[in-house]
Amino acid sequence: MTSALLLVKLSWRNLWRNPRGTLLTAVALGLGLALLLVSLGLLDGGHEQTIADGVRFGPGHVVVQAKGYQDTNSNELLLPAQVVSAVEAFLQNGIMQPLVKGVSPRLLATGLLSSAANASGVRIMGVIPKNERAVSLIPQRMIAGAYLNNDKLSGVVIGDDLARKLEVKIGSKVVLMTQALGQTGTKTTQGAGDQMQSTLLRVSGIFRTGLQAVDANIIQVALPAAQTLLGVTDGQVTQIALLLEREGDSPLVAKALRRQLVGNPVEVLTWRESIPMLAQILGLDHAFNYIMNGVILAMVGLGILNTILMRVLERRYEFGVCKAIGLRPRQLALMVIGESLALATISLALGLALGLSIDHYFASSGLDLRLLFRTGLPPALVFDPILYSRLSPNRIVWSVSIVFMMATIISLYPALKAARTELPDALKVL
Amino acid sequence: MTEWAVELKGVKKTYRTGPIEVPALRGISLQIAPGEFVATAGPSGSGKTTLLNIIGGLDRADAGEMWVAGQNLQLLSSGELASLRLHRIGFVFQTYNLLPVLTALENAEFTLLLQGMPAHKRRERVVKLFSEIGLAGLEDRRPAELSGGQQQRVAVARAMVTEPALILADEPTANLDSATAIALLDVMEHLNRTTGTTFIFSTHDPQVMERAHRMIRLQDGQIASDVARAATGLPLKAEGVAV
Repeated sequence: MTSALLLVKLSWRNLWRNPRGTLLTAVALGLGLALLLVSLGLLDGGHEQTIADGVRFGPGHVVVQAKGYQDTNSNELLLPAQVVSAVEAFLQNGIMQPLVKGVSPRLLATGLLSSAANASGVRIMGVIPKNERAVSLIPQRMIAGAYLNNDKLSGVVIGDDLARKLEVKIGSKVVLMTQALGQTGTKTTQGAGDQMQSTLLRVSGIFRTGLQAVDANIIQVALPAAQTLLGVTDGQVTQIALLLEREGDSPLVAKALRRQLVGNPVEVLTWRESIPMLAQILGLDHAFNYIMNGVILAMVGLGILNTILMRVLERRYEFGVCKAIGLRPRQLALMVIGESLALATISLALGLALGLSIDHYFASSGLDLRLLFRTGLPPALVFDPILYSRLSPNRIVWSVSIVFMMATIISLYPALKAARTELPDALKVL
Repeated sequence: MTEWAVELKGVKKTYRTGPIEVPALRGISLQIAPGEFVATAGPSGSGKTTLLNIIGGLDRADAGEMWVAGQNLQLLSSGELASLRLHRIGFVFQTYNLLPVLTALENAEFTLLLQGMPAHKRRERVVKLFSEIGLAGLEDRRPAELSGGQQQRVAVARAMVTEPALILADEPTANLDSATAIALLDVMEHLNRTTGTTFIFSTHDPQVMERAHRMIRLQDGQIASDVARAATGLPLKAEGVAV
């Protein structure tokens, strides 16, 4: 114990024999950690934002739909009315309610929207405006007119790409034509199956999300209007999209719903299952980021190895003396490892202070991506141009552990070198 | 039967660098009694440092028998040699070799600390020794704040503080001026007289040789002469082997 204290004391004091070198190394390692923290914070913040936006333009954090819809996208696969009411009742209970931010039943179909000038194939979304506002981002991205309301069933909101193609503006008349749905199983129970239906609508709002697939294809109409057009009654819908307070609760809510709806011909999917492409892109981004951080840390690590190794080599004679007067190889190795760990501790303190300060700034004020694009944001950029960092305590612990572990591993070789100091060669006066 | 502080029989050591062989010791035999104050002298390459290294367990001989403080060095593992050095042998090096980050007191108590002695006992012993060898008041200074002579005294204190049976000093006055060298010799001789610790040092310095009670001259890895001179109470020796 006493000699352990001696080794700690020696390590600490040895560290400050060359204060400038020690500080430079500590700053290098600290910068590495700060960079890691900031990049992870922005990465997670960006991903959180991407997921938040992605699910709100899509099927929400969790979606309940008729079994097989994910694979077939068949318009005729509808949720039975009792499932819709069961889901709504379940989400109202005391445990689930705080987790759920919004619930939007949707009736989905394909159709043809025509104006006096042109026609275009569209994806029809029949929605309850109040519910859809709580789940989707489309109501927030109106650039002209207003979003749907329950009073005007003849209103339709369309994307600005589609509006341009059809050469329509607010108040313009358009005709929506679609095929009425069939009548079997979970399909529609009445209507004019296989018959073409059409209805006259007025453009009440135009939105721009920036996503070409959305702006050129999606139209939203009030759910009753869509149900009438498609010949669907009894409140049947294609899917129920759920927006949660926290993305992390998706598996939990999905599991609870699956348990609740067991025996019904439905599928309950988290966003990772319903938008697998998004999950894959984020996974790839994570992997790329890890590789980049790995390269940065490896470079910093090599710098530290060089510094510690030089310190050890230039003290060969001193190690020889220590060994001659009775210090054992293990103790010499521990002394060098102690120096490295002390250096790592200082570096981590510097890195944490710097990294967390920068992260705090990006978390509160955000990183304005518009600064990166002199000529304005790319048109495809759908998301908020201000990127907010989200650094979780787990990430901090993980980063600090990685850097600390790296410093420990790096110190092993110099420690081994010190332990292997050969007597009497090391005592030769040069 | 006398238990020698050091006893060597036919010790040989050859250094090899690739195909080149350089014999450093060519069959050294000697006995040194406890409490002797012995100098080894000789030209560079005569084998002085090699002899001290082998006696101190810092190097191993190729052949011969070696006993130090009653232990047969040939039979000891490197861990046991380290333990022997820590508990029974003190070293004083030519260039002081204090740890620059420790104070004079911490340097001197370093080996006691490795032995696991409690702090108050260590301090007590070092302070007493410091006052004996003229270092009182310098306990808290770092080596860089001490003169060469003071640093070498601290090195002697570090070697002495464990109360070893044997102190080996490799040219301890080589970097000191005459007055400081004489003062250091006074200290070493005083400690030799008062504690009975055996001192063996190598030197080129005539005034060190004059102070030695026994003078062993080496030439080409062999003992050229071995003369006991001072009235130290030790038996006189003829050349070669102690009586």
